[in-house]
Amino acid sequence: MEVSSFLGTTFFSILKAFALFGFGLYILFALVVIRQVQLMTRTLEVGLEWLVKLISIGHLVFAVFVFILAVIAL
Amino acid sequence: MPDIFKAEKVTTHQDHHAKQEKPHHKIKPKEGKAVGSFLQHTKSGHALSSFYYFPENVNFETKESEEKIILLLRKHFITNVPWIFVLSLMIVAPLLLTFFPVLSFLPESFEKLAILGWYLITTAYFLESFLTWFFNVNIITDERIVDIDFYNLIYKEVSDTTIERVQDVTYKMGGVIRTVFNYGDVLIQTAAEVPEFEFEAVPKPDRVVSILQQMRIEEEQEKIEGRVR
Repeated sequence: MEVSSFLGTTFFSILKAFALFGFGLYILFALVVIRQVQLMTRTLEVGLEWLVKLISIGHLVFAVFVFILAVIAL
Repeated sequence: MPDIFKAEKVTTHQDHHAKQEKPHHKIKPKEGKAVGSFLQHTKSGHALSSFYYFPENVNFETKESEEKIILLLRKHFITNVPWIFVLSLMIVAPLLLTFFPVLSFLPESFEKLAILGWYLITTAYFLESFLTWFFNVNIITDERIVDIDFYNLIYKEVSDTTIERVQDVTYKMGGVIRTVFNYGDVLIQTAAEVPEFEFEAVPKPDRVVSILQQMRIEEEQEKIEGRVR
């Protein structure tokens, strides 16, 4: 019982580590998306740049929020 | 000399008409050019349009200060339906967990974070699909044809050629969906380094070809009149 409990705890610890690593990588991806949007809006301006930038920043904020939540809740 | 050898000056109708005409002046090359003089300068469309005629507040990286954008093209909006459908499925997918609890072996906190992670991926999918459609454009100006393509996150390609280098323009429209929604491909053969430009799935391809033809006629006219910038 103790072994299975230990293995269960170890399993979830590893799962938590993977989850945090995945969410951390995702934050990097969100930063790349912001950079991509910057390049795109520099190449072409059609008047909706503020909206596209807002969505990309909102996406980054969401990613950071999920990462922090994972650190606290897992 | 006797007067019989002097001819009386007789004013004819042609002489009278010639006097009334304004003096002929040499046509001087005009600075700038008449932008799309054959075209109706009626703005048609908005920032999210796939066919934006004489767009306002539009600028691109290599645009010259005097250059005027005639047409901004994107793929027809109907081409977004597949990813919008997939997106809607992705949004409702977590609801299936109530009927098929595949994550029930995980603690509740893991399950909720897995759902949040799923929505993160959904947001990324939406962003990439929308940005790809929104920023991959074809632009026709009074001087050039410009093709702006973003292939992935960090790779873009901007090609352009002058209107006078356009040799052949062809458009293709086939299939039920394309015929119903009136969109197709426009192929432009040029004498430039990039031999062919392709406007994929653009709305009103016949109108695009017509505009290009009018621009080519205007370029020829400018060459003849010496109004080349």
